[in-house]
Amino acid sequence: MAGIKIEHVTKSYGNLAVLKDFSLDIADGEFVVLVGPSGCGKSTMLKILAGLEEASSGKVWIGEREVTDLAPGDRDIAMVFQNYALYPHLTVAKNMGFGLKMRGTDKAEIERRVGDAAKILGIDHLLDRRPRALSGGQRQRVALGRAIVREPQAFLMDEPLSNLDAKLRVHTRAEISALHKRLGVTTIYVTHDQTEAMTMADRIVIMKDGEIQQIAHPDTMFREPANLFVAGFIGSPGMNFLQSPVTAAAGGAQVRLFGQNVALPVAGAGSLVGEDAIVGLRPEHISAGPGPVSFEVQPRLVESLGSEQYVYVELPVENRVRVGQAVADDDTRGHSLIARLINPDGRPPGERLTLSFDPARLHVFDAATQGAIQ
Amino acid sequence: MKRSSRDSIILYATVVLTCAVLVFPIYWLVITALSEPDQLRQLPPKFWPDHPRWGVFGQILAERPILLWLGNSALAAIGAVTLSMVVSVLAGYSLSRFKVRGGPSLGLFILTAKMLPATLLVIPLFGIFRQLELIGSLWSIILAHATLIIPFTTWMLKGYFDTIPRELEQAAMVDGCSPLGAMFRVILPVSAPGLAATALYGFVLSWSDYAYARTFLTNAQGNWTANLGITTMKGEYVSNWSDISAASILVALPILLIYLFLERYLVGGLTAGAEK
Repeated sequence: MAGIKIEHVTKSYGNLAVLKDFSLDIADGEFVVLVGPSGCGKSTMLKILAGLEEASSGKVWIGEREVTDLAPGDRDIAMVFQNYALYPHLTVAKNMGFGLKMRGTDKAEIERRVGDAAKILGIDHLLDRRPRALSGGQRQRVALGRAIVREPQAFLMDEPLSNLDAKLRVHTRAEISALHKRLGVTTIYVTHDQTEAMTMADRIVIMKDGEIQQIAHPDTMFREPANLFVAGFIGSPGMNFLQSPVTAAAGGAQVRLFGQNVALPVAGAGSLVGEDAIVGLRPEHISAGPGPVSFEVQPRLVESLGSEQYVYVELPVENRVRVGQAVADDDTRGHSLIARLINPDGRPPGERLTLSFDPARLHVFDAATQGAIQ
Repeated sequence: MKRSSRDSIILYATVVLTCAVLVFPIYWLVITALSEPDQLRQLPPKFWPDHPRWGVFGQILAERPILLWLGNSALAAIGAVTLSMVVSVLAGYSLSRFKVRGGPSLGLFILTAKMLPATLLVIPLFGIFRQLELIGSLWSIILAHATLIIPFTTWMLKGYFDTIPRELEQAAMVDGCSPLGAMFRVILPVSAPGLAATALYGFVLSWSDYAYARTFLTNAQGNWTANLGITTMKGEYVSNWSDISAASILVALPILLIYLFLERYLVGGLTAGAEK
């Protein structure tokens, strides 16, 4: 096992820069998740780490060894692919033992290690089968098994759960986390699913357009997003964004939301006086009934999930986000607000209702730079 | 949706008609071989001889060096297919996997080579083989057939390799294979149906050649291939069509048997990639 150090790695295809100055230190045994939308460069970074792609510049260390120019097989890493990439002509046992065989491990040792890994993953009864005779979940386990028998310095996982159905995904997610705790091997995991990132990671690296937006512990990232993109990406449903000019107020700055003056809870907001701010409010921080800041709304749509309700509300025109789309081009939440009401009353749909929030929960972003104001 | 009986009748009639058109020449070849030579031209024709000459095959094998010709055809076909497969596996894999400048044009150029009629190449090839002193040698048709087979097999294999996910060889490389090792240990075994279909295609192409063998091997009687040998059974004034037909059946038999044995792989090989 070893830590991983990535130093100023870039990757370009002609004029197209898909990875811009990526640097990251990963501690021995850490579980790091690279997350971001499609095309953000996360899979490219993983392939550069694996040696399957060449970096345009920069260096990569695994443990004490610089591996930038080493072949994938010489890096002592194991990779789990999105489509599992099991060898269809080999049995499960041979699939799992292939990497050891390539390294000249003796037959008895291969058998022992394959047997041990199969037991850990509960696939010891499948060892003589071919991949085509396995279900999706079983193939996934074999792919994991192939990685763990090698006892590598690090695991690289490229969206390994995306081909599983929703229920199995949740189950396997927990299994991978448990496996990581048990084996303690440094793991770099790529996904576009923020829930996977939040639930599995020791640290999340969130990326957009080839650039790192923030590196932080999941809770920190949720509570203190570095910018509008991170704020919108992490959390489900995503954060609501409201735009307003900032005016000076006694003891700081204020914005006008739902026709009311609301004091901004951050010290740095004073620097935005005279300019526009984007205020972020998480759906779960909005409650039904009166509170510190209350407003009456006519819900456009109410979705009930039993234990909670998602209430969709049109934003006043003056609070609609005007700085393009906050997170992605197809993101339309600039015009509406979602409230996530836990254990709601059985109110009839279409009825006007009072919602409220605590201004201390607001996140403040500079509308011009989209950076968070602390 | 339930098919109406009228549709069924049309469908079956079409299938029967197609089969009849395809099978009739083979049937006629068989009854020609089994008939007495003097019964061949009688009117009305007989659709099954009164006394089939089952002994004709043994007689032909005894009278003519059919086995030698078959052996030569087999050597030429195996040689041409082996050479073609070595070249086209590497070429097809490269075209499928490596993005090099001019790669697509190179691929099209290879395909264009196939557009030329085989007879157009006879004269330049003859010139080259004469300089290399290969005229009369089986090597001449091995090389000539390879020029015919390689463009097709390269494209067939490129198409097959395109259907194999890249992650398979990436996984093999992470597991410790070199790029070439990944190809040999993972990609080629996975491509077995495609390789079998492609190789058989090349084999049939070589086996059925007449023009090259006639041009390069006529003066080397010991190296005659089956097709060339059979044509020498046709006399200038009198031809024994029964014997020629019997010899033709013996020559067609190996291909037929190979098809029957490999049918399972061939269907898989030819339809792979048609759907995910």
